[in-house]
Amino acid sequence: MRIADKMNYDQVTSNLSKNRTDMAELQNQAATQKRVTKPSDDPLAAARVLAGRIDINSNNQFLKSVNNAKTFLEYSEQSLGELSEAISRAKELAINQSNDASANDGTRKVVATEIAQLKDQIIQVGNRKMGDRYLFGGFKTNRPPFDREGNYKGDDGEMHIIIDKDASVAMNIPGSKVFMGKSALVQAADHEMHSSPYPPGLERKDEGLQPGKPVEFRGPAGHGEPQKPLAEESNEPVNLSDSWKSGGVNVFETFKDLEIALRANDKAGVQDSLDTLDEALAQVVLARSSLGSRVATLNSASESLSKSQVDNKTLVSNLEDADTFQLVSDINKTDSTLKATLATSGKLIQPSLLDFLR
Amino acid sequence: MGGKIHGMLDVGKRSLANSQTALQTVGHNIANKSTEGYSRQRVEIQSNLPIGSDGKVRVGMGAKASNITRINNPHLEKQIGKEQSNLGFLNGKMDALSRVEQVFNEQVNKGLNHFMGDFFNSMRELANNPESHATRSLVKETANYLTKDFKRVNNQLKEIQKDIDFQITTQVNEVNQMAQEVANLNEKIQMVEINGSNANDERDRRDLLVKKIGEKININHAEGKDGTVTIRAGNTGILVAGTDFKKLSVQETPESDKKGEGNVDVFYHNSDRSTPVKMTGQINGGSIGGLLEVRDQEIGGLLNDTDELAYTLATQVNEAHRFGVDGTNKFGYTFFDQPTQVRHASEQLKVNQDIMDNPARIASAAAQSSPGDNRVANFISNLQFEKVMGNGNTMDDFYNGIVGKVGVTTQRADLAQKSQSDILKNLNNIRESVSGVSLDEETTKMIEFQKGFDASARLIRTADEMFDTVLNLKRM
Repeated sequence: MRIADKMNYDQVTSNLSKNRTDMAELQNQAATQKRVTKPSDDPLAAARVLAGRIDINSNNQFLKSVNNAKTFLEYSEQSLGELSEAISRAKELAINQSNDASANDGTRKVVATEIAQLKDQIIQVGNRKMGDRYLFGGFKTNRPPFDREGNYKGDDGEMHIIIDKDASVAMNIPGSKVFMGKSALVQAADHEMHSSPYPPGLERKDEGLQPGKPVEFRGPAGHGEPQKPLAEESNEPVNLSDSWKSGGVNVFETFKDLEIALRANDKAGVQDSLDTLDEALAQVVLARSSLGSRVATLNSASESLSKSQVDNKTLVSNLEDADTFQLVSDINKTDSTLKATLATSGKLIQPSLLDFLR
Repeated sequence: MGGKIHGMLDVGKRSLANSQTALQTVGHNIANKSTEGYSRQRVEIQSNLPIGSDGKVRVGMGAKASNITRINNPHLEKQIGKEQSNLGFLNGKMDALSRVEQVFNEQVNKGLNHFMGDFFNSMRELANNPESHATRSLVKETANYLTKDFKRVNNQLKEIQKDIDFQITTQVNEVNQMAQEVANLNEKIQMVEINGSNANDERDRRDLLVKKIGEKININHAEGKDGTVTIRAGNTGILVAGTDFKKLSVQETPESDKKGEGNVDVFYHNSDRSTPVKMTGQINGGSIGGLLEVRDQEIGGLLNDTDELAYTLATQVNEAHRFGVDGTNKFGYTFFDQPTQVRHASEQLKVNQDIMDNPARIASAAAQSSPGDNRVANFISNLQFEKVMGNGNTMDDFYNGIVGKVGVTTQRADLAQKSQSDILKNLNNIRESVSGVSLDEETTKMIEFQKGFDASARLIRTADEMFDTVLNLKRM
């Protein structure tokens, strides 16, 4: 082949430019530690990286939501603990006053005052706030759910917190349920109908997926480790099924009845209230166990979110990050190629016939 | 006696002249070693016919330089022209696409993917704290950033379209200038070649110009018997015919099928009197063709997609938000100003001014007097995972699809450009091998003709001495 001078020069220029481009590309990868610096580097990876980042960001938010709901639930649970202590205390007192051996008109009057105080105390528990939000008012979180008489001013709203693409957990328990005993049984049966993270009337576009479906609450029998043994709260075994059947107790009424019975020195009345107190206790324990199992749900959600967070980050990193070892080896290879090109270019361009003519 | 001493002088003189012509051509070649499109030239030297015929001895009468030709393969040039046009198309496309890609490059910058996620996360935060005004301000901010980013994408895409218009305008002007020069060269070539000589340098220049016009716009060209070349752009735009040339022009025109409002069309001017003919649709090659394709097909499609995304987002969020009860216990406004149509939705997307002024008007509740009610916020936040787009995708998937699409288109154009550029490099190598100047070769020729020049001079001296000898015969 006939070689014109321009061919040599063009060849040298284009080879050098190719080597330099390769080198610059690799250097950029080394500096950013990214294999994909623009979508065209690997379109499929770039799109999947974006999807991965959505998962990472929304999981971060879900983790925040989970922690938020957990704090709320734990505080509610702790408050209900105080409530059950107060009921237990009332029951203790009532047992003492339910016979004439250890009690009389005078002691009953004294105890009646204590019961009144306990009632005030449980109203305070019912009006407990976390930050500016009342725990037991349902959706009405901005004002005390119970007045001084123990009348409920809140509603039955359950604040669902979405904790994953297709799961939600209610972070509160309305006071109507736990304090007023608004039919726990009916409530539980109709749970799915009445309690949803979404407003009624808005149509879901996507019937198949059903995102945000409420998490089934596990019953007391199935609850996990965060649940404290029920026996610690009450010395007597609690027969849960009784309270399920009875349709719930108004705790304040119970206390009021007890107080009246004591004041009236009505031994039978005091004895009657023992049963109701048992039921009230069972009702609170049931609510606590429901809260506890939700906390357990949140814990496992938090665990799986954290785990999938690691998975997502690994996925994104695998897709977009440069393989450092490969990179360094490529850089060395390209570097030696570049040097070879430079060395041979000199040999190709320099000599001409003119150098050999005198 | 075969020849005459006079004849010798004559042969010597012509040989001297031939060597000089050849040496000059060597010089011309060396001087044009780096001239773009130059083909090396050779002096065609022919032996003269012997004169006189006394007996059997016919003495040659030396040589003459019959012509100077360029060494060039026209078929190769035509093939290069075609491939160069393809490369021009890909260059134009790649040039614009690499900028489009940057609009959607979230490997480096934050884009819609990020801001949509932020918006939905802020809604989740509102669901966590439906009573909070601070959280509502957060929602307002993230929504505002989201609308700004929709606007950014829209603006940047339109800016690229504008810039493409500018490039098209410049290139059309270049085409006009080159077409004019080709017409001028046609005239010169015709004049030079009418008396049998070769217009080598003019032809080189014209070949180069035709290739360069083809690089900018798709053309057909053919050489006529008179040596003039006719160039037709697209199907109907005769740019050069003989010594005439016609102009192309660009002008902003109203929106038409794929083309956006205010973008330019290319027009062909047949004569000063007739109205210019729109020929944008015929331009599908060369860099102008590549630029047009990106401007109207790629960017046009991306603008539509972005509009669709913005429209769906606004409509879906509004539908839920209107349903809700806001922080002031009133029923909610539309969250975004509801776009009336898909078109231009990304440009016009805006958070409701009342919400911007008073974020308390962001709705979270589904019922009145329920400050802790987060059902509407939940609903809106979960729109992120709903398949609300027309093609059955979630908004995120739809957007990621756009990014993937841009990536694939750019990657393909990039690969095609690289391989096309290799093809052209090979062809140009072949062309240089045929037509390029080699210094070694020219140096050798220089020595060859210098020696020839020397010898011719010596021949003349010999003849001169022979004359002397003859004239001095009597003195002896």
